[in-house]
Amino acid sequence: MIGSVCVTQSPVSPSFLLHFRTAEPLEYHRSFLKENCRPDGRELSEFRTTTLNIGSISTADGSALVKVGNTTVICGIKAELANPTVEAPGKGYIVPNVDLPPLCSSRFRPGPPGEQAQAASQFIADVIESSEVIQTEDLCIERGKLCWVLYCDMMCLDYDGNVLDACVVALLAALKNTQLPEVTVNTETCTPGVTLEKRHGLRINKHPVATSFCIFDDSILIVDPTAEEESLATAQLTVVTDEEDRLYSLHKPGGTSLSGQKLQECISRATARQREIQKLINKVIHSVKTAQ
Amino acid sequence: MAGLELLSDQGYRLDGRKATELRKVQARMGVFAQADGSAYLEQGNTKALAVVYGPHEMRGSRSRTLHDRAVINCQYSMATFSTAERKRRPHGDRKSTEMSLHLKQTFEAAVMTQLYPRSQIDIYVKILQSDGGNYSVCVNAATLAVIDAGIPMRDYVCACTVGFVDETPLADLCYAEESGGVSSLALALLPRGGQIALLQMDARLHQDHLETLIEAAMTACKGVSKVLDEVVRQHLQEVSVLTGE
Amino acid sequence: MEVCGSSNVSLREFGCEQSLLSRPDGSASFIQGDTSVLAGVYGPAEVKVSKEIYDRATLEVLIQPKVGLPSVRERSQEQCVRETCEASLLLSLHPRSSLTLILQVLHDDGSLLSCALNAACMALMDAGLPMSCLFCGVTCAIDTDGQIITDPTAAQEKESRALMTFAIDSTERRVLMSSTKGSFTVHELQQCIAVSQKASEKIFQFYRDSVRRRYSKTLE
Repeated sequence: MIGSVCVTQSPVSPSFLLHFRTAEPLEYHRSFLKENCRPDGRELSEFRTTTLNIGSISTADGSALVKVGNTTVICGIKAELANPTVEAPGKGYIVPNVDLPPLCSSRFRPGPPGEQAQAASQFIADVIESSEVIQTEDLCIERGKLCWVLYCDMMCLDYDGNVLDACVVALLAALKNTQLPEVTVNTETCTPGVTLEKRHGLRINKHPVATSFCIFDDSILIVDPTAEEESLATAQLTVVTDEEDRLYSLHKPGGTSLSGQKLQECISRATARQREIQKLINKVIHSVKTAQ
Repeated sequence: MAGLELLSDQGYRLDGRKATELRKVQARMGVFAQADGSAYLEQGNTKALAVVYGPHEMRGSRSRTLHDRAVINCQYSMATFSTAERKRRPHGDRKSTEMSLHLKQTFEAAVMTQLYPRSQIDIYVKILQSDGGNYSVCVNAATLAVIDAGIPMRDYVCACTVGFVDETPLADLCYAEESGGVSSLALALLPRGGQIALLQMDARLHQDHLETLIEAAMTACKGVSKVLDEVVRQHLQEVSVLTGE
Repeated sequence: MEVCGSSNVSLREFGCEQSLLSRPDGSASFIQGDTSVLAGVYGPAEVKVSKEIYDRATLEVLIQPKVGLPSVRERSQEQCVRETCEASLLLSLHPRSSLTLILQVLHDDGSLLSCALNAACMALMDAGLPMSCLFCGVTCAIDTDGQIITDPTAAQEKESRALMTFAIDSTERRVLMSSTKGSFTVHELQQCIAVSQKASEKIFQFYRDSVRRRYSKTLE
């Protein structure tokens, strides 16, 4: 895989490449992009291996662990009882939160959540609302008095680029894995009674899946960037789509511009990815069910 | 009354273990690519993740640099979904700060910081699922992570939480036992020399029982150190097979 | 604010004023209908060592809502505005310096993010910072009938099925930034982009006119 990089056609030693990579990362990546591939051996439109593990955390009502290459995100869902908001008395609500702690990468310092974590939380909240993954009416137990609140905490354990995609997959898998206990409201005393043994799953309407792209030098489009590629890219783009080919989010927070044709390519790649991920989630959930 | 439930007449505990039996320990080193050293450890149902960055240049306030040794910076946090009730403040609350301080003191005793003057070593520990013995599991996971990072230590640091019920010391308490009103003691030990790095107890215990309790804790820690040693040797074997040495 | 057919794009009344604040190096206020945003730019100034970048300026954006403290929503808007500005400013001309852009929301009646982008562009122009292109923000809403509404009011935004904000650059009319909410098809997306590009022409013309008007007094 290591081809010749210098002008002379002689093979180069691995240590030279390592130093070249540290000193001139942009040139190093450009030399690979010229040959239509990337330093880790992938094609421009190839994803890293995605693995999924559900239900590993027993204290959470639903959980999932996703690994996209080296990027690891764990999502835990806790359900609590609360009063519904005044504006929507017949609906429950979902509160997502993305946490990028200092343990996932040395670029994050300990302290309050930074801009990237907060922007990611807002992005996930928008995706949940736009796609209506769960009908919030399903979370209402008694209109105006009692409803479920789902706290979805996504924590990145290892940051190697493309956190948004991993978070969305983890969230979707964890929601499919969530089991809510039965709640009966005692009408005389108006207190809720929770039976922890009887549990029912959530009804998932749509399966939104996010695909992230990076633009290099205004023209080259790559899929599923690593942390190094993200820092060198001139623009980033995330497309969220579902099984009916509806788009829920086209998130491009600035950077160099994109032509209509490239955008179309991105959307078709995203649709293909959505099918892969949905198959993966269904396969894992099925294997968990048959194992039980 | 509580003693009856926690330890039956035949000597079995709530989860079927004997009084001196430890929970099953499963550990893996080198789980994360970004960190210099990382480890994942499960002790029964308690799952912890430890990540080490360093030694690197001092970040933040340069004034805290020590001219002759490295500064160890620990942060302990629990995931919001790790306990039965959702944790509203995963870090920054008093319990987490206290635990972080204890971890820092424990590792300052074990890590050979004089070899890295003017630098900083970060140890981050996260509890993914909590079922008792949080401090001990953190210390064990952090030991493996520091070894994975290649930072020299005087000895393994092994920790165990023990409790005293019905004149019998119970080793490696789970959450039900800890909250059942048992006097619990946490001990961090450097097993080869039998030196205690940290001892913490804030419960009521008669002076006469202290000796037996510490003995039981030290035996339990030595048991843990054997398991950790196994894990390290196996990991080393796997790595050397991959690199072809 | 009007519903758009296929060729006619109508936007609300624009208003702009530059250099209205004395302290910042550049300031501008942009009004779209009832939505109004005030922007102030400080820079290039000294930067904290922890934040400095060796070959270009560090841009920081702060969005202050009308009431309350900035929340997670403002952070994501700040990220959008900051990356758009970074793409159009020539940051490599001021290495190791800091540029601070502060946006204060005076009134929100829909299309807030695009109004903020327009105010930001005018303020950067007013500060005299070198830019490779100008940019403008356009918001489109798709209502329940499938009609595309440009520059919607708050009421229209609430009833819409999807809401999209684009930042268009002045040289090639390409999409610099896109932030969407709600569900839509690919076809609707492409229609909205086309509509936004047409609307951006009017906004750039407005920029030109207002700057011309402002400097005509000094040139005479």
